[in-house]
Amino acid sequence: MQRDLVSFPLSPAVRVKLVSAGFQSAEELLEAKPSELSKEVGISKEEALETLQIVRRKCLTNKPRNDSTSDTSCRKCTALDLLEQEHTQGFIVTFCSALDNILGGGVPLMKTTEICGAPGVGKTQLCMQLAVDVQIPECFGGVAGEAVFIDTEGSFMVERVVDLATACIQHLQLIAGTHMDEEHEKALEDFTLENILSHIYYFRCHDYTELLAQVYLLPDLLSDHSKVRLVIVDGIAFPFRHDLDDLSLRTRLLNGLAQQMISLANHHRLAQVGNIVQITKPERMHSTVSNHSQKHI
Amino acid sequence: MYTARWRNTGERKSDSGEGFVERSQVLFFAGSGIMSNKKLRRVGLSQELCDRLSRHQIVTCRDFLCLSPLEVMKVTGLSYRGVHELLCTVSRACAPQMQTVYGIKTQRSANHLPAFLSTTLSALDEALHGGVACGSLTEITGPPGCGKTQFCIMMSVLATLPTNMGGLEGAVVYIDTESAFSAERLIEIAESRFPRYFNIKEKLLLTSTKVHVFRELTCEEVLQRIESLEEEIISKKVKVVIIDSIASVVRKEFDTQLQGNMRERNKFLAKGASLLKYLAEEFSIPTRRKEHLYL
Repeated sequence: MQRDLVSFPLSPAVRVKLVSAGFQSAEELLEAKPSELSKEVGISKEEALETLQIVRRKCLTNKPRNDSTSDTSCRKCTALDLLEQEHTQGFIVTFCSALDNILGGGVPLMKTTEICGAPGVGKTQLCMQLAVDVQIPECFGGVAGEAVFIDTEGSFMVERVVDLATACIQHLQLIAGTHMDEEHEKALEDFTLENILSHIYYFRCHDYTELLAQVYLLPDLLSDHSKVRLVIVDGIAFPFRHDLDDLSLRTRLLNGLAQQMISLANHHRLAQVGNIVQITKPERMHSTVSNHSQKHI
Repeated sequence: MYTARWRNTGERKSDSGEGFVERSQVLFFAGSGIMSNKKLRRVGLSQELCDRLSRHQIVTCRDFLCLSPLEVMKVTGLSYRGVHELLCTVSRACAPQMQTVYGIKTQRSANHLPAFLSTTLSALDEALHGGVACGSLTEITGPPGCGKTQFCIMMSVLATLPTNMGGLEGAVVYIDTESAFSAERLIEIAESRFPRYFNIKEKLLLTSTKVHVFRELTCEEVLQRIESLEEEIISKKVKVVIIDSIASVVRKEFDTQLQGNMRERNKFLAKGASLLKYLAEEFSIPTRRKEHLYL
């Protein structure tokens, strides 16, 4: 960190000696040990130690506090706590029993799930289905949350979501019919087509810059809409594929994006008791040319 | 090829039909990524900060967002929190607007925009949930000789039909790379499929004036044509864009055996696709790319 020594609350005498010894910034200072510093600058060891502590403390306060606290609290929980958490966490059903069985109940919350596959295999359809299923009321075994859908490919079809939502409502009505429960009836009243569609927040990103911008703004969005339980990025690798020639930049941006999403999931788990699952849909996370593009043509 | 574009930024008002119509009537030029090429100066950063950033060749939002937070700290000299706020400010300037799916649905029905263009082949329409989707890119692939060009010509006829007959009552842009388009065939199809409508010669001539054929023979030309399409679409009230065929022009120019060509080819295809998708969404028109599959 290129912070000027003048900005630190050091005693003037020590500061003068440091400057005349050639130390300009905090960075240079932090490399030294107290004993070395005292010898070079001409101050006592205690003064050197104090100086280093002040500088270190100041430097550390500039780093994100929330990350460090969340790290420590993450590290502190035991496996038993995690086990309990995992048992109580909800799943988002996919309505494909084979898939739900494999996944152990559905798409898990508090985790990032990647869906990969050849073009045309049904990834966008699955994402749209999940955006509807996350809203299933709790008495039906759902998560009763809202969804954010970030679309980079433009393959989102409103008409299809209407179909899926209508089918879901009918399915739940059948179930409610067999239960004859008041709770179920009441929950179904709110589970209308209009409500379902209103709780899917849709963003269309045309290139990777808009995607990056949107991900930076996600934390604010999630705090505004605290009921969001699912964030879908449909086509996380797509915008990076054609516009970026610099492969190292591409890799760095993609990795940074992935890390941000993961830290977002963790952070919101702490901020809210609720949970967030994120689905990213990369077709290829890396820059190698694969057979997919050939088949596509 | 980026030129200036004017667009309503700021708060999105209620999803009324007007907003959408306004957008489609605004004159703007092709080039996806207008938001990302926004100069930082216009985002609301201080002049001093902009100058400092431009000394490091960071001029647009895209340049800025490609940096890691650490790099931003180094360049701007801000603390981590300051950098975070700066990132949010810049992000807000180029992030897309939020819409709820319900909002999109009501907007479309308010504008009376059809969601699908029926192909009048009932089995196909059923499989496609109504027909060719408006506002997105549709690819037609198949072995040579199976009828793709004929299908495209038929869709051209359908697009020019009045809305009460299931058409879009608009013009068609037909980008022909193989010189496979035959005007004679267009007339033939129109006459035989809709004999009662096309009973006067004038109507046939009218339909043929609505189909604008562009012959482009190289990838470069195709891309340039796509980039300049916006003005055509607005001025001629184009409702369907057909490219026949993208595979042939790509195959001619990019020999996949050679190294490095694969990347160029993919770049060209992806660029073309993203431009077309952008046009399709902005103007809510179906765009079609015809391809051959040689296995």
